[in-house]
Amino acid sequence: MSIIEICDLTYSYNPHTSFEKKALDNISFTIEKGEFLGIVGTNGSGKSTLIQHFNGLLWPESGNIFVLGRNTRDKNYRDQLWKKVGLVFQFPEQQLFEATVFDELAYGLRNMGLNKQEIDTRVNEALENVGLDPEQLRTSSPFCLSGGMMRRVAVASILAMKQEILVLDEPTAGLDPEGSAHILQTIKKYQQENKVTVVLVSHCINELILLADRLVVLDNGKVGAWGSTRDVLAQDDLQHYDRLFPDYIRILFDLKKHGWKINTGMLTVEEAANELGRVLKGGG
Amino acid sequence: MRKLKLGGYIPGTSLIHQLDPRTKLLGGLAVIIAILVNDSWPVLLLNTLLIFAVIYLAKINMKSVLQGVKWLLILSILTLVFQCLFTKGDPLFNLGPVVVSKQGIYRGGTFFLRLLILYLSSSALTMTTSPMKMAGGLEALFAPLRYLGVPVNQFAMLLSISLRFVPTLIEEAETITRAQKSRGAPFTSPKKIVRLKTSLSVLIPLIVGSLQRATDLATAMESRCYTGGPNYSRVKNLHFGRKDQLALGIIVVICILPLVYFPGRI
Amino acid sequence: MSFKGIQLLDVTKEYPGNQDIKTCALKKVNLTIKPGEFVGIVGKNASGKTTLARLLNGLLLPSQGRVMINGMDTRDRRMRMEIRRRVAMVFQNPENQIVSPVVEEEIAFGPENLNLPHHEISRRVEEGLKLMGLREFRHYAPHLLSGGQKQRVAIASALAMQPDYLVLDEPTSMLDQSCRRELIEHLHILNKQQGITIVLISHCMEDLAGADRLVVLQQGSLFADAPPWEIFRQDDKIVGLKPPDIVRMVELLQKMGFNLDNKITTRAEMVDQLCRLSKSVI
Repeated sequence: MSIIEICDLTYSYNPHTSFEKKALDNISFTIEKGEFLGIVGTNGSGKSTLIQHFNGLLWPESGNIFVLGRNTRDKNYRDQLWKKVGLVFQFPEQQLFEATVFDELAYGLRNMGLNKQEIDTRVNEALENVGLDPEQLRTSSPFCLSGGMMRRVAVASILAMKQEILVLDEPTAGLDPEGSAHILQTIKKYQQENKVTVVLVSHCINELILLADRLVVLDNGKVGAWGSTRDVLAQDDLQHYDRLFPDYIRILFDLKKHGWKINTGMLTVEEAANELGRVLKGGG
Repeated sequence: MRKLKLGGYIPGTSLIHQLDPRTKLLGGLAVIIAILVNDSWPVLLLNTLLIFAVIYLAKINMKSVLQGVKWLLILSILTLVFQCLFTKGDPLFNLGPVVVSKQGIYRGGTFFLRLLILYLSSSALTMTTSPMKMAGGLEALFAPLRYLGVPVNQFAMLLSISLRFVPTLIEEAETITRAQKSRGAPFTSPKKIVRLKTSLSVLIPLIVGSLQRATDLATAMESRCYTGGPNYSRVKNLHFGRKDQLALGIIVVICILPLVYFPGRI
Repeated sequence: MSFKGIQLLDVTKEYPGNQDIKTCALKKVNLTIKPGEFVGIVGKNASGKTTLARLLNGLLLPSQGRVMINGMDTRDRRMRMEIRRRVAMVFQNPENQIVSPVVEEEIAFGPENLNLPHHEISRRVEEGLKLMGLREFRHYAPHLLSGGQKQRVAIASALAMQPDYLVLDEPTSMLDQSCRRELIEHLHILNKQQGITIVLISHCMEDLAGADRLVVLQQGSLFADAPPWEIFRQDDKIVGLKPPDIVRMVELLQKMGFNLDNKITTRAEMVDQLCRLSKSVI
């Protein structure tokens, strides 16, 4: 039984009005327990709308979505789903509001009804997870921190809740390469230590290539491709989405168009270079 | 997609669109003052006809205008009923134990009509005047106040920036609400104090974000040579032409003159 | 004798910090940018990139040294308006630069502040809309636009000042991959066709691969100033920045014994060379 099952999910904004916009069109796929799933797509492809279905903020117009075995059409279930599915929005530092970092991380935990001791332990753990010093920052105001640190605090406030499923919407948006790498490492480590299911949404495939077990490519509200990362990259008809791919993969696709018999299912620059070398030596 | 929210601006080339914003502002004001000061039937009727004529000439889709009137209708019908039932006067007919009077029906009717004209005239104004032109018109009309030391230009800029950011702030508030809901924020708690604290979880981030935004905006405006001074071009670009003279003339005839001839009860 | 170009002469910028300890954002930077160039400025966080950008149009003034724009000193108050007209800036956050509620009025904002006649303002608005492909959005409210479209509006608004130099401070960092690539393409078109000097600050090496020159800042000092392909070849551990994937690929293939040009920085160049190579191998 998959941890999330999506069946023919359709969702429109402003339905039955002149402003109706179909955000998701008959989406179907599953997410397995413990996997790291990457969702890729350009702006407007419906990524953000889709993930809001995972924690019950939205529910399908038609079709169904089963999270942890139950249909989210049940309002009571939806209202409690936040305890089991954590959602980190884009630019999460824009939600900070508490007076101290401690309170910020404790907010969700208090809403969950945990006792003081448990909250204390979890806050410290979460701050260490994101590479921040609990002793130093507990009583600091989150607004006095640098942009990068504010982002880490915001992510930590969700990690502290230790939900079974963690969903992140473009966690590296606006960060420089160093900051991006750090956040992604944090997420991967968290997943391995806590054995949770992670869904990471990005417009940038580069980040997901080495992290994700499987990829879903969203295109205009529909599922364009779905499978293991390597399989998705090796497909022939993905060339329509090529603007999502890093340059070293696009080169392989370009050469394929030129008639080269080349395998495009390469994950890293090294692999791509080796494949090129192989083809050049063996003749393309 | 949200272009039509709150009777917002719809681009067009109709006669009304082409009028100087000052004409429309003064005209709208004249209508509103006329019906507030005088509630005699002739005055109300004339102004209603005027507004409908303006809406017709502006080629505005009546449906989109009347969409907002639905709540108005409900409010008015409630008031109509209230006025009818509880206003003492010459009895017209009986509705059970309650006496419905002539004055009651009159009061209810005029209230409804006044609300309608108020709503329609402000909608007509905002739908046919772009926010910037509106700000320019206001700046031009209030310009003489500058000599009294009133910072008219800065107020006009304030208005323009508010118009620009209100939709953005609404969107941001929605996003922040969703994010806090995802952390279990009790927006629907039965305790008032809890609800208050929860609303802070949306207000504080909005305010903090706005402060940062203000700094960034100021930098961007400085970089494009904004000095806070009078925006001559915006005001100079307003042309008060023949059409405007005619329009103002019509307004005087329809709105102002009848006030003299038909004294009404306030 | 009017020198055309941007010159930073021994520029140092210090900020007062906590407990009277000054933070030095820039240390004795000497840099010249000639008209028509496409210059990339790169460096890690706190390398002084943003400070440098803001010195270029007088938003910040140097603590020591001088910043000259076409021979005008930024410290000269009388020249400030003229300098700001010549050096237009586009900032990182697309949302926080747009002042007006309607796109075409946003583009008119700059020219209005210059008190230009109405017909000239209209002409510049039309041109700006055309250059950045925004004609269909002219009546839109900014909140209805995507991040990439908002940045295009910001660029069009900057261009309406008819600047000699366009400085962009991390304009792509909040955009997605395809918007980013589109924007950079637009900048190259502006540079080649309109002759506008572009100064692009970014931490994304891919954005800067097509620049004429790359200036590398490290902890406030000028570390390197050379064509991109030269900078990419340097040991990235020194600079602390990862070179674009294409450059890495070329290096790896060269190590395998294939004869590829050192100067390759774009996809098109790479595909071209590889096709030629495959023919020669056969």
